[in-house]
Parts: sequence; C-alpha cells; structure tokens
Amino acid sequence: MITFERVTKQYEGGTAALRDVSFHLDPGEMVFLTGHSGAGKSTLLRLILMLEKATRGQVVVDGNNLTRMPMRLAPKIRRNVGMIFQDHKLLKDKTVFDNVSLPLMIAGLRYQDIRKRVRAALDKVGLLSKEKAWPLTLSGGEQQRVGIARAIVGMPPVLLADEPTGNLDPELSRDLFGLFEQLNAQGVTVLIASHDLALIRRMGRRVLVLSQGCLADDIAGADLAGARA
Amino acid sequence: MKLERFRRRTRAWGRRQLFSLFSSLGTLMSHRAGTLMTVLVLGIAMALPVGLYVTVKNLRALDLKQEQWGTITVFLKTEADQDAAQALNDMINGRVGMTSDVISPAQGMAQFREASGFGQALDMFEENPLPWVVLVTPQPAEDVPLEAAVAQIEEWLLQQEDVDLVQVDFKWLQRLAGLLALGDALISVLTVFFSLAVVVVVSNTIRMDVANRSEEIQVLSLVGAGEGFIRQPFLYSGFWYGLLGATLALLLFNGCLFYLKRPLEGLLDAYGNSFTVHNLDGVGVLFVFFAGGFLGFIGAWVSVQRYLRMINTDGMLGRF
Repeated sequence: MITFERVTKQYEGGTAALRDVSFHLDPGEMVFLTGHSGAGKSTLLRLILMLEKATRGQVVVDGNNLTRMPMRLAPKIRRNVGMIFQDHKLLKDKTVFDNVSLPLMIAGLRYQDIRKRVRAALDKVGLLSKEKAWPLTLSGGEQQRVGIARAIVGMPPVLLADEPTGNLDPELSRDLFGLFEQLNAQGVTVLIASHDLALIRRMGRRVLVLSQGCLADDIAGADLAGARA
Repeated sequence: MKLERFRRRTRAWGRRQLFSLFSSLGTLMSHRAGTLMTVLVLGIAMALPVGLYVTVKNLRALDLKQEQWGTITVFLKTEADQDAAQALNDMINGRVGMTSDVISPAQGMAQFREASGFGQALDMFEENPLPWVVLVTPQPAEDVPLEAAVAQIEEWLLQQEDVDLVQVDFKWLQRLAGLLALGDALISVLTVFFSLAVVVVVSNTIRMDVANRSEEIQVLSLVGAGEGFIRQPFLYSGFWYGLLGATLALLLFNGCLFYLKRPLEGLLDAYGNSFTVHNLDGVGVLFVFFAGGFLGFIGAWVSVQRYLRMINTDGMLGRF
C-alpha cells in the first residue's frame, strides 16, 4: 500500500530530513513510526500526503508513484489518505458536523449522503451527540476524535496520524489507539507516528524507527518485548 | 456507463458550486461593515463613468433634436423684394432635406422689437432698415451629420443672386460636437481607470479575506481540496462585491439624476427647448451589472491565484 524506495529528502540549506529510507507497508497493516523529534517522522508523512516531494527515490502510495506525479494532482492523492494531526487542524468557526463533512463537500456528495456518512463517522468515534458543538467547546481528546472522524469520513484506504496522543493523558491515548485498531480491523492501512514508546510496545505491532533521517530499525510486532501474547 | 459518470460528475460539480455560493455569501454577511465599505467605494467608482456616459448621451440627444441650432438665416440684399424672397423660398422648399420660411422686414422688425426691448430706439428709423430674410431649416437624412448638411446648404445659398449674407449658428454645433467627442474620450479613459480601480479594490479586499482565512484554506488543502474548490468561494465573493457595487452605483446615479432633473429641465426650458433628461436604458443597466460582476471576479481571481501559488510551492503547506 505504501512503498518507500531509497527515499532522500533534502531541504534547501542542505540538511537531509530523510536519508535513503526504504520500507513497504502491505494493505491492512498497522504500523508505528517512532524516533526522536527531528528524526524525520513528519517529513515521511508529508511525503505520503504529497505536501513535499522526495529529492531522490520513489514514494508509491496505492499504486501511484508520487515522485513522478505533478503537484496539481496532489489533492486527488490527499483524498485517498486520511490524515490526523497533532493539533487537530479543526476549523474553529465551523461546527463539528461541518468540520467532519469537509472531505465529502470537496468530493461533491449529496447532502443526504454527507449527513449519513458524517453521522456514521461521528458515531464511530463516539461523538454523535456533539455534532452541533463548536470545536473549542470540546476537550483535547474530543477534538482529536473529531479530527479522526474527518479523516475516516471519506473512507480512505490509508490513515496517517502524526503524534495523535501528543496532548492526551495515558488513558485517553490507550482509547485512541484502540480506535485505530478497530479501524485497522476493518481493512484500513494505518501508519502512526508517535514517540509514546510504552504504548507502542503494548500494542505489539510493527514499528519503524527513524534516527537522524535514516531508518534505524524495522521491528516486527511479534518481536516486541512486552508484546501481548 | 460513460454518460452516468459524466452526470455524476456534473452533479458533484454543481453541489460544490452551491457550497461555494453559500460559503461566499456567508463570508460577506459575517463582516457587514467591511463589506459595506468596499461596496461603497466600488459604487462611487462605478457611478462616475456611468454619470458621464449618460450626460454625454443626453447632450447627443440634444444635438439631434434641436435642429433649430442648425438653422440658417439668409439675409437678402436690400434691393431684393418680396418676389425675390418668395422665389428663393420656393427653390429651397423644392430641395430635398430642408424647409424654409420667409420673414418680411415688417415681421422681422416686430420680432426684434419684442425680443430686444429697443422699441423706442427703433421708432427713430424712418423706414424699416431690415432686408427680407429666409429662414432655412435643414432636415438631413438620419445618416447625414447635421454639420455636413449645413455646410453644403450654406455653400449653395451663397451662390444665389439675391443673397447678401448667410449666417449659421454653426460655431455652436461645432463646439457641441467637440465637447461630445471630448466626452466620449473622457468616458473611455474614465472607464479604463475606474475599471482598474474596481479590480484593485476587490482584489485587495479578497486578499484580506484570503489572509483571514488562510488557516481554513490550509486545512482544506490538507484534506484534499483542489485549487478550484478553494478558489471558488472567493471568486463568488468578488462577483458579489462587483454586483453590489454596480447596484449601488446605479442607485447613486439615479439619486443624483432625480435631484438634478428638475433644475436641469428648468434651465433648458428657459432656453426655449422642451427637453427631457434621458436615463440609462435597459441594456446600459445590464451592462453595468455585468461589468461590475466581471471586474469583481477578475479582482478576486488575481488575489486568490497569487495566494495559491504561494502555498503550493513545495513544502509551504501545512507545516506540522
């Protein structure tokens, strides 16, 4: 589903955010991406969203070689990838319902269908009762779940998350990862960047470790110490 | 199958347009004071060329209607008598495109006495010093300019035997024609400048709109909105600004016209012309609306396009 082949991303000014990174994610996999801040996690996600282009190497998502694709097709790629941001990136002047419906508005769905699917997505993240609320009246965990609802409402085959538990307490973080597991169980490929090592260990999934832009380790879920039996 | 896909896409497009439409109206309504200011500026900017256009149009109507300004007064030689005058008159009436009347010295004296107020002074003349006069009114065909017709007749009249002097109120016509030409040129210049002003004003307003909503634009981009989807509401906003500006311009203009109409018609009546002020016609009104909307659209396009180019530069979008 996602393939990186010897990918290097070099910013102007010389520092390489990613160096010669190669890995492959099968459809339906759930994988964690970890490493210190500045190790290149965000850059890797940005490349999948086509917010940036690799300096060298190939990035292939769902059969599309993003490196060869013109930037004007980026929106099309992004519609197939649900992205969850650490700061949620919700619009404060729109209700929860309107925020979640954005991807469907962009796709130009009928209002009845939008309504149905937005409610289904909100139901999945347990926020159906808050559809008319304003984002700022919600707690951090709730806002994050609105972000997730927005990411999954278009039913993309790939879900990315950048430090989704960054501002949440451990219990909420566990709940959130549980939610990702549920979505993954329905066949969505999930890639989560996180440095919550304890939680990652407990999840027992495959882990990619970035260090100074290089892929330092690729650990299979079964090999994780403390993995669930 | 293909048709079905096409229809689905068309419908999706239509829904996106509808979304943009309401979204843009919502934005305009959400900061009414700002919208009002912009529209006011646009309205004034558009009212000026409209006003000048209608003024020139009215002057032109004046030119066509008031043929007496093209009247030619033919003074016969003092020795010419009534028969000569009558003969000339018949000759003129026989020509295409003009009519004429004979004024006897007695009639002329009576008119002069009445109009000038020199009655007593005139009594000092022992005999009437006025010659016979023929008053010629050219009525050229639609496609012949009055000036050309008058010039032609003047030339012909001067060749006639009994004619002493031909006087044409021609300077007036020439000046008016000159003024009208100047007016036309002025309209062109004003229209270009004020169109530019409308584009710049809308563009600036939309630029601020865009800046205020840059967060929203970035989020939209991140969740897969294409340039069209992002651009659309702003283009609609620009269109609304232009259209509202045009509406205000027409209102302002009509207000001015209403206020000026009475004194203007009174003034012209005093000059002996029955005259009604012409307003902008239906086509003109439609054109003002169209021009307003179009210029607003262009202004918005300029701003949004610049912003989109900026955020779509590699790596500029949605730092996270």
